[in-house]
Amino acid sequence: MLKKIQKYSHSRFEEIGYPSKKLENWKFSSSKHLKKYLSNNSDDKDTSIDNHGDEYTLCFMNGEITLESLNKFIYKDDMTILDIDQLSDENICSTSSNFEKEALFHLGLSTIKSGKYFEFKKGSKFDTPIQILNFYSKKNEGLRISSFNIFKLNQGNNISIIEKDVNKGSSSFNLSLNKFICSENTILNHSMMYDDSTESNYLGYNYYELGRNVLLNIDSMNINSTFNKNFIEIDLNKEGSEVKINILNLARNQQHLDNNILMNHNAEHCISFQNVRNILKDRATCVFNGKVIVAAGAQQTDSNQSNKNLLLSQNATAHSNPQLEIYADDVKCGHGSTTGALDKDSIFYLRARGIKESDANNILVKAFAKEILQDFVNDDIRNLSENNLNHWIDG
Amino acid sequence: MIKIKNLKASIEDKAILKGINLEIPKGEIHVIMGRNGSGKSTLANVIAGNETYEVDGGSIAMNGNDITEMSIENRALQGLFLCFQYPVAIPGVSMAYFLRAALNAKNKHDGEEEMDAVKFLATAKKILSELGLDDSFLKRSINDGFSGGEKKKSEILQLLMLNPQLAVLDETDSGLDVDALRTVAKGVNEFKNDNNSVLIITHYQRLLEYIKPDVVHIMIDGKIVKSGDMTLVHEVEKNGYSWLVK
Repeated sequence: MLKKIQKYSHSRFEEIGYPSKKLENWKFSSSKHLKKYLSNNSDDKDTSIDNHGDEYTLCFMNGEITLESLNKFIYKDDMTILDIDQLSDENICSTSSNFEKEALFHLGLSTIKSGKYFEFKKGSKFDTPIQILNFYSKKNEGLRISSFNIFKLNQGNNISIIEKDVNKGSSSFNLSLNKFICSENTILNHSMMYDDSTESNYLGYNYYELGRNVLLNIDSMNINSTFNKNFIEIDLNKEGSEVKINILNLARNQQHLDNNILMNHNAEHCISFQNVRNILKDRATCVFNGKVIVAAGAQQTDSNQSNKNLLLSQNATAHSNPQLEIYADDVKCGHGSTTGALDKDSIFYLRARGIKESDANNILVKAFAKEILQDFVNDDIRNLSENNLNHWIDG
Repeated sequence: MIKIKNLKASIEDKAILKGINLEIPKGEIHVIMGRNGSGKSTLANVIAGNETYEVDGGSIAMNGNDITEMSIENRALQGLFLCFQYPVAIPGVSMAYFLRAALNAKNKHDGEEEMDAVKFLATAKKILSELGLDDSFLKRSINDGFSGGEKKKSEILQLLMLNPQLAVLDETDSGLDVDALRTVAKGVNEFKNDNNSVLIITHYQRLLEYIKPDVVHIMIDGKIVKSGDMTLVHEVEKNGYSWLVK
């Protein structure tokens, strides 16, 4: 299966060609600097990690799972864990129609060394979240690292996954590909934390395929990334599902943060909320490409899309492109986007109570961010995010 | 307490204040009345240091210290409090956090220790109860989703918590029903003592049924044209402002 995927993706990459600014999803994201990684795929077999985390943690080193973490993983008896190579059903590995058009998605798949398939047993409910730590070793300076994992939730599953990147000091190009299959009556909370102090580039493709009555929460906080472009695509294929996405991005210097969300409402009575906020200092840039497509027949859809950008410097730039495509006639859909500096009246109000100007500014920045963080599902992630936010503001 | 001399101010090159002279001694309540657009709210904002306005001349002194060029926060720390006509909503910042930040800034400036959480809560709850507000008010974001009455009560809550030397009430009576007006007036009367002062800006006399001023000033086209006692309020109520225009 793996060879077949690699071969197909290689031909797709050749066919599509390297992304240019002519493509909607790449219009405001320069990919030129990623070209140097094209032929530099990492073959680092180093899986040595000082700390494999606790029994709730799965560690990946350079895209490959470490046996140490797998052996002590507490939930392994409640799951089927296979190499993707062992899968016989091609449909499980299939991806979204949108990712299918993405050259770098195929570049990642064409060079993956391995991949894992995680299937949760019917009815499993995990009180403690699964933590996924993605380590990147020091030997990967200037190299590209690709990973591909598939998670399948079965009826009655209630699963929380917290994903964190831990870079050990090298500047690499990390291509992360994930697919989540959520069968009916499942709950998935997926939290993503990116805090990287290296010059690494990150490109993520996360595809979620939802059945009937699924509750999906996606929380993400991104801080200190040089280049971070994340694609999220969700297919709401059966009625009664609900998706909530809360994303907070903080960028400074010349960092570039980029969120591309495609929400496909393919069935009736589904709800989706997208809330993406960016706070930019210095010459940082951000992009929000958000699209909701309501298919004909997806009646009673309730969808809202919000992107707010706070510019703390005159040289920071935000590109916002919220879109709605509605082909059903009985739906409630809204979208909005705002970009601006801190509100002068609010600063005056706080200062008029004796609060220093710099403190007033910080209070307002935190307030802007907290409106996203307060909706994070996981308490630990919310607290960690608040700490990271405070450090970033003070830094 | 406050002494304003020949104060001139403009916004976007349009002169609004054209030479204000006003002195409010300690222990007095003064009222400025005037038509819409006469410059009353501009005066309140300029006193508080709102940087939207340009001070073109004159001076403002508090307790003998010139504050004309002083920053907004330093004026507040000197004991100046502006009760906003339109308090802004700040989602994401709780009233409790805001009040504590303001109190801590004041205490630090005055060389006092920070108020501990227990004392803060006890003080806030007592005032909230007097204002007819629930304790949960402290958990709400600043003015976010507040009714008109709640916004004005929130200003009075801040006034009573911060206990400044001079309170400038900018149209605090606007948009209030009779009950809320009484509550707000009660708060102001509670605040008032022999060691502080109040400047009320209004164009209605209804607040003055509950708060008795020592001096009444009439402002027309950026200048105080007449000062007197409560009889001036009744004359304005009866005859309007036209008779005061030269």
